[in-house]
Amino acid sequence: MSMRATAVGLLALGIATAALPLMAGDYFVGVALWLLMYVALTQSWTVLSGMTGYVSLGHVVFYGLGGYVAALAWGALPLIAIVPLAGLAAFLLAVLIGLPVLRVRGPYFVILTFGVAELVKHVVVAIEGWLGKFSRVLFGAPDMITLFYIMLALAAAATALTASVRASRFGHGLLAIRENEEAAETVGVPSVRFKLLAFGLSALVPGMVGSVMVLRSTYFEPQQLFDPVISFTIVTMAVVGGSDDVKGPLLGAAGFVLLSELLWANAPQVYMILLGLLLIVFVLFMPEGLSGKLFPPRRRGAA
Amino acid sequence: MTLLAVRQVGKFFGGVRALSDVSFDVATGEIVGIMGANGAGKTTLFSLIAGHERASAGEIVFDGRNLRGLRPYEICRLGIARTFQIVRPFGGLSVEDNVATAALFGASPAASRGAALRRAREILALVGLADRAEDLAETLTLSGQKRLELARAVATGGRLLLLDEVMAGLTPTEVVALLEVVRRLHAEHRLTILIIEHVMRALMQLAGRIIVLHHGELIAAGTPAEIAADPRVHECYFGGAAA
Amino acid sequence: MDAILSGQLLAAALVTGALYALTALGLNLVYGTMRLLNVAHGDLVMIGAYVAFWAFSFAALSPLLSLIGAGALAALLGAALYYGLFQRMFDGSRAAQRLEANSLLLFFGVSVILQNVAALQFSGTPRGFQYLSDVYRLGNVALTGNRIAAFAVAIVLCFGILAFLRFHVVGLAIKALIQRRDAAAVVGVDIERVQLLTICVGFATAAIAGSLVSMTEQISPFMGFPFTIAAFVVIILGGLGNITGGIAAGFLLGALETYGVAVTSSAYRSILIYGIFVLILLVRPQGLLGGRRIVR
Repeated sequence: MSMRATAVGLLALGIATAALPLMAGDYFVGVALWLLMYVALTQSWTVLSGMTGYVSLGHVVFYGLGGYVAALAWGALPLIAIVPLAGLAAFLLAVLIGLPVLRVRGPYFVILTFGVAELVKHVVVAIEGWLGKFSRVLFGAPDMITLFYIMLALAAAATALTASVRASRFGHGLLAIRENEEAAETVGVPSVRFKLLAFGLSALVPGMVGSVMVLRSTYFEPQQLFDPVISFTIVTMAVVGGSDDVKGPLLGAAGFVLLSELLWANAPQVYMILLGLLLIVFVLFMPEGLSGKLFPPRRRGAA
Repeated sequence: MTLLAVRQVGKFFGGVRALSDVSFDVATGEIVGIMGANGAGKTTLFSLIAGHERASAGEIVFDGRNLRGLRPYEICRLGIARTFQIVRPFGGLSVEDNVATAALFGASPAASRGAALRRAREILALVGLADRAEDLAETLTLSGQKRLELARAVATGGRLLLLDEVMAGLTPTEVVALLEVVRRLHAEHRLTILIIEHVMRALMQLAGRIIVLHHGELIAAGTPAEIAADPRVHECYFGGAAA
Repeated sequence: MDAILSGQLLAAALVTGALYALTALGLNLVYGTMRLLNVAHGDLVMIGAYVAFWAFSFAALSPLLSLIGAGALAALLGAALYYGLFQRMFDGSRAAQRLEANSLLLFFGVSVILQNVAALQFSGTPRGFQYLSDVYRLGNVALTGNRIAAFAVAIVLCFGILAFLRFHVVGLAIKALIQRRDAAAVVGVDIERVQLLTICVGFATAAIAGSLVSMTEQISPFMGFPFTIAAFVVIILGGLGNITGGIAAGFLLGALETYGVAVTSSAYRSILIYGIFVLILLVRPQGLLGGRRIVR
């Protein structure tokens, strides 16, 4: 599928989604919100993990931090300030921990990210405990339609970010890092700087997404917000949908939201079991994901 | 004019002395060969020059610039390119993307992806990989991957090329072909080459000067003829008087 | 200060340590021979705990007996995973290489499946049961019978396995495999069989640890995570693939946790464990598989 066709398709999709609240009821808007959330999260994730090969299993930490910032700032700052602030906080966290964390390679990086996410979660729980709060309720939160449009913007931004990174020299460097980091350095790719930037960029939108979702639920509780299931879902969506182009996360997110709609109410465990099974099946048999299968690259660029 | 100056360079790995008091110069446009038995310190020397390791002692000066403390990518930007003894292609990328990456990030970076691809195709034609340009790098044979390694190094636009046993594992026919490729690249891109080789024939034919390492020390330096006749080289390298 | 130096804390540290050592032992064996990081390891502990719970609740069977069943079940699971998923990894093809990089994700998928199957079967409510809960006193140390029994079984198993590795031919084969895979093959070690045995033993010991733990801890489908993390901390502390080191490190972690919590509070237990976990991964040298080679 050519770049132009993809762009036109995405635009059409975006417009259709924007029209949704005018045509459908609250329930569907809510489902679409979820979908957009995961599109935004998964697209951002691929900027790091799809392109550099540093698979993050702890991405919920950025989402949770963004949500925490929003919970703390709600009431003191207007919405228009909170969302970018949440994104900035997540970006700063990534850049702060990125230097030591990105020196760890391979599977150790994967479990490290998981550990970091859990650590931050428990630290936030402890902080909240000191502050005497075990959960927070957010009064006067914006209505769902507003949040829906913000989330649409975030999903669009994440998709645009991913697409532009892929087309850029920076993206080229990231792919080289993924294929062979030492060789990449030898041909002039500044690997440390690039990895750090990718890490930060991959955290930006998730932070903002977290702030929106906290306001959506009007409730903040750290164990719930920093839920590792979110990290796991992102990874599974990327693996199943494909992480080598912008269509992948869209396919993955759509597929899983559909699945969860069918299963979550009655059998959430069955949904999770299916998630696990699909992850295994795709890792084994279709690592290029649905988008890689349906839209195989013309053997230019990445595999 | 001296392009590379290696001055009293030493390298210790824990208690092991990999290099000791190695000094030599490389003039612009030269092809200097490095020979020595396995473990003599040849690849370590390359690692030091390319910035993958830090010298324990001594200085390495490239084009007047001291390389101490610089990271590999900075050294590449200055104009030093290398190949690896065990090839390291970007397996999941196409052959031309491998080379284009080097063109985008190297010492004389291409202005755009288009320009990078053009440079890549030129160089691929020179090394004889033009017909494999769109294939994945990991599908190449060893001989192909060695050429790719070479093409990638040259595409960075560097002036000094470090070739680490490029001939290893190739058949005699492939060696002859690659020799020709290296000569062509040397001429057309005005390169200075430092080449480690075990394949004696290739080394003797290519190099204008050869230095010999043994247990981390430089034991001889001179033209191929001088080295071939040097008794110390025969002692260390071949173990005894010349046949 | 008296409290810190008391025998009570020491006893607690020893018991916790023994259980950590046993839990990590399996992970170490599997990692050492096959370089697989089993993030589902803690879920095997969970399975063992549930088997013990179920056997006790429905058949009044002591966990000290049902642990045999738990071990067997886990071994079976290990064999199934080996044949179903991981055997492909060792055939040397390109697909196999890609698999190795993704093995972590595979195990993660397995973990999620195990947890949710358990949740489906037993619901998410934490369970527990009373067994051997009489208190015994030795000097000023008071320990419940179940803790003493858990300690005893764990110690026996740990040292039993150590002895096996040292004295039995197959144990030697396992050690050889851990050291140098290709060399082991060349000298005639039946890699396939040894790997299979290792994964079965590795999984079984985790489940047995779970049965032991079930006597004193709450049982829930998601109890596995902290055990996985703890096991990783232990094997990294002790040196990946170093079985003896791992056992020592198990006790070290038990001590760190017990004394750490005593000094701060039990609310910090998670922060402590995850903190050590993150710290270890950050600080240990690059390219863990022996030197400067890049683990990719």
